[in-house]
Amino acid sequence: MPATTSPLDELLELAGSGHPPKLGDAILAEDLAKTYPDGTEAVRGISLRVRRGESFGILGPNGAGKSTTIGMLGTLVKPTGGRARVAGFDVAADSLKVRGQIGFAMQDVGVDDFATASELIVLHGRLHGLRKAEATRRARLLLRATGLVPVANQRVATLSGGTKRRVDLAVSLVHLPSVVFLDEPTEGLDPRSRTAIWELLDTLRRRLGVTLLLSTHHMDEGEALSDRIGIIDHGELVVEGSPNELKSAAAPTLEDVYLHHTGVAA
Amino acid sequence: MNALLLAQRALVQFPRNPILLGFSVAPVLMMYLVFGGLFAGVAELPGFPTDNYFEYLAPAAVLLATVPGMGNAGVALASDLQSRYFQKLLTTPTSVGSVMLGRLLGDCVRLAVQAALVLLLAVALGAHIATGLPGALLIILLGTLLGIVTFGVVSANLAIRTRDAQAVQSVQPMAFLLIFLTSAYQTTDRVGSGVLRTIIELNPADLVLRPMRELVLSGYQGEHIGIGFLAIGGLALVGLPLTVRNYRSVYG
Repeated sequence: MPATTSPLDELLELAGSGHPPKLGDAILAEDLAKTYPDGTEAVRGISLRVRRGESFGILGPNGAGKSTTIGMLGTLVKPTGGRARVAGFDVAADSLKVRGQIGFAMQDVGVDDFATASELIVLHGRLHGLRKAEATRRARLLLRATGLVPVANQRVATLSGGTKRRVDLAVSLVHLPSVVFLDEPTEGLDPRSRTAIWELLDTLRRRLGVTLLLSTHHMDEGEALSDRIGIIDHGELVVEGSPNELKSAAAPTLEDVYLHHTGVAA
Repeated sequence: MNALLLAQRALVQFPRNPILLGFSVAPVLMMYLVFGGLFAGVAELPGFPTDNYFEYLAPAAVLLATVPGMGNAGVALASDLQSRYFQKLLTTPTSVGSVMLGRLLGDCVRLAVQAALVLLLAVALGAHIATGLPGALLIILLGTLLGIVTFGVVSANLAIRTRDAQAVQSVQPMAFLLIFLTSAYQTTDRVGSGVLRTIIELNPADLVLRPMRELVLSGYQGEHIGIGFLAIGGLALVGLPLTVRNYRSVYG
């Protein structure tokens, strides 16, 4: 009797040696800053380093600069100061090369309501340079891996918020990126959908070895998904370390650490 | 390459929104029939270049399809910006220019088909296109290009500034003003007001409409065709860099 292969196994096989070895930095930011034209200093010189295959969580209150930081690293926001390299490429000078290496699931799910889930994944695969047959094959695997097969041919407009998030995630993974940015990946989801996405992300990281950079203001999410955590407040990285390193006798939980550094209850 | 993929995406979307598609085609054909019927007597005036008013009106009807119709590209852009799908596309190795060009190409195909329907209706109503199929294709090209550099540019800039599809839609009637202030319905020498005559003569839309009409009524007038393309080029030289600058100022 032939052994059944999971879609993730097949994706892992596709990723093969295409992924860089787990050595060196996947993300390196030095004094990265963003001041918007209206004078708002959203990010005031953040430096951070994320190793390949590592999962790094950015925590912080609303308006702390999390989305702007992740946006700059993901080439959606142009930095006004400092520099950053993602997957070996400069985010400002080589933005198209960076985009070829990353997946980006945004806070506000960016999906095309007129397309079906399957069409969206295939389109994004093709925008990443995959041939149609290959993009279609990967779309089938991702639809299975993310539990989207029953809605594969439904218009995205008809799907629930949680399902749209899964579609967005599948779209972000079709080219098997080495670095995945997740901006508030479970915001607005019910607990069951949140848990499902956590499991999926954890599995993808363990099985595909991708680097994850996620922003969240949910302590449990940061702790569950991150090897290391950085807390951002008022556009500055105020502390970073593994969850255990950050906790202390005075601040025994991540909530306490967060409150101590931001003055805001999680 | 990515622009072509995105153009394909736009073309797949059109039939999925039959109300939008229907309402962007039917009113143009109806206006052509209504205005053609209402003003048919104009063709009987001495010195009018044709005795079939539908023939005279056909190029203007093409512009009625392509100029306001290009506003839909801006509406779609605003929707994509509003839904954040535009930003999602920019997380792939695709430039802003390719995303916009893709949408534009898709709309160009749609509008070219609509313009062709107008010309087919004109022929069905007894109009004769003096330059035949090549001339008809040139009419469609001129009309589509004018749509891009006028209302395509205006609606794209509004979409970038407002991210609001309704705001973009609200300025679409301005496109009709651009066309009404031409020799679309009667020859310029019959316009009573001197001021209006001057406006019509200086209106870039009229510089494009004139050779389009000549392609229907008489034949190729190289000089006028050249002026038409120059007018389009001039508008493009102003509008396209303005759009890029506007985008950069808003989204950095």
